[in-house]
Amino acid sequence: MSSPAHSPAHGGHDHGHDESKFQIYVQIAMLLAVITGVEIVAVYLPFAKWILVTSLVVLSAVKFLFVIFYFMHLRWDKPFCTVLFFIGLVIAGGTAWALIALFQAEASLPLPT
Amino acid sequence: MSSHAATAEIDHHHDPTTSTGIPNKKLLMWAFLASDCMFFGVLISTHLIYRLHPPAGGLDPKVIFSPELTSFSTFILLMSSLMMALAVTAIQKGNVKSCRWSLLTTIFFGMIFLGCQVYEFEHFVHDKKMTISNSLLGTTFYTLTGTHGCHVAIGVLWLALMYVRSFKPGAGSAQRSWFSGQIFHAATLIVVLLLALKVTLGLVHAIQVQPSLGGAMGLFMKEQVLWIGAMLLALWGCVWFARPRGPVHFGVANAIDVESMGLYWHFVDIVWIVIFTAVYLLEYL
Repeated sequence: MSSPAHSPAHGGHDHGHDESKFQIYVQIAMLLAVITGVEIVAVYLPFAKWILVTSLVVLSAVKFLFVIFYFMHLRWDKPFCTVLFFIGLVIAGGTAWALIALFQAEASLPLPT
Repeated sequence: MSSHAATAEIDHHHDPTTSTGIPNKKLLMWAFLASDCMFFGVLISTHLIYRLHPPAGGLDPKVIFSPELTSFSTFILLMSSLMMALAVTAIQKGNVKSCRWSLLTTIFFGMIFLGCQVYEFEHFVHDKKMTISNSLLGTTFYTLTGTHGCHVAIGVLWLALMYVRSFKPGAGSAQRSWFSGQIFHAATLIVVLLLALKVTLGLVHAIQVQPSLGGAMGLFMKEQVLWIGAMLLALWGCVWFARPRGPVHFGVANAIDVESMGLYWHFVDIVWIVIFTAVYLLEYL
């Protein structure tokens, strides 16, 4: 949304835009609730562990992205906000990945006492 | 209520007066959230590392965790995010009354989440015997979820202060006693929230210890009647402070303040989305 959101010349259009935004928010909230329900049910399903882990990670990522792009308005904001946030996110994710990988190494396991 | 006239002049997402084109308050909040990502990233990975290498004889999370309670609090936090988004939309349209109700609902959901967390911690410590110092699971779990809970508590306090701020009288109104009056307004609102938390925990406790609903309600009323009375009194104080007193100095121009607060609140929600999967759900596989 690069043009002003509330132009006097487009009052009727903006009213419709606000209404649709309200509907989008409610629909996304319902979708997030349904995804949460699916996650809870999924852990009890008799599938292979790697399938369930992958599914849970993907579903969480979908919820995460819906919240940041719609509820946090990144979809309508300047791309710089997205870049700034993803810098932090990538560093955090990279740190987590590096730490978990380091502790998988046999040399990092605690010595038997 | 504030004037709607300014609505047509403000672009709520972009600010041509800054070199980045982004309002400074929003840029500050995004930079802070990026740094907070790293903070929570390290806490979550620490918990996962110790869960992947559990010490021999450690506690079993499956026995300790309660998926029903955690699922309920996750749903509540998602709904609070919806109400926060609606509060931002309302103030961007200059609808102060709707914004206030959305803020109050967000506060209400935030307090339910905190209540669930207080109950969960109390249950884990007293019934499941998992403290922050007697096990590695307890140390990483309480540090991670406790830090998140502190973020939620700060968010609730911020929301309450923003709600009270929305009553600041407009230009031309008598402002002499506004500040001292609103300190009492904020204090009363916080007292209501804390008493509501105590009464809710009392209700949950009564339901747990009594086999029948009638017995639970009897015990609840017997133990909590004074606290309920105090809460209703404080609630009446809040309603009195919120009575209409002419135009207010809060409207479309404050949308960026509410939006920045909303960004913080949604961030707390997305952190919980990750914690819910990484800390709770993965244990049940």
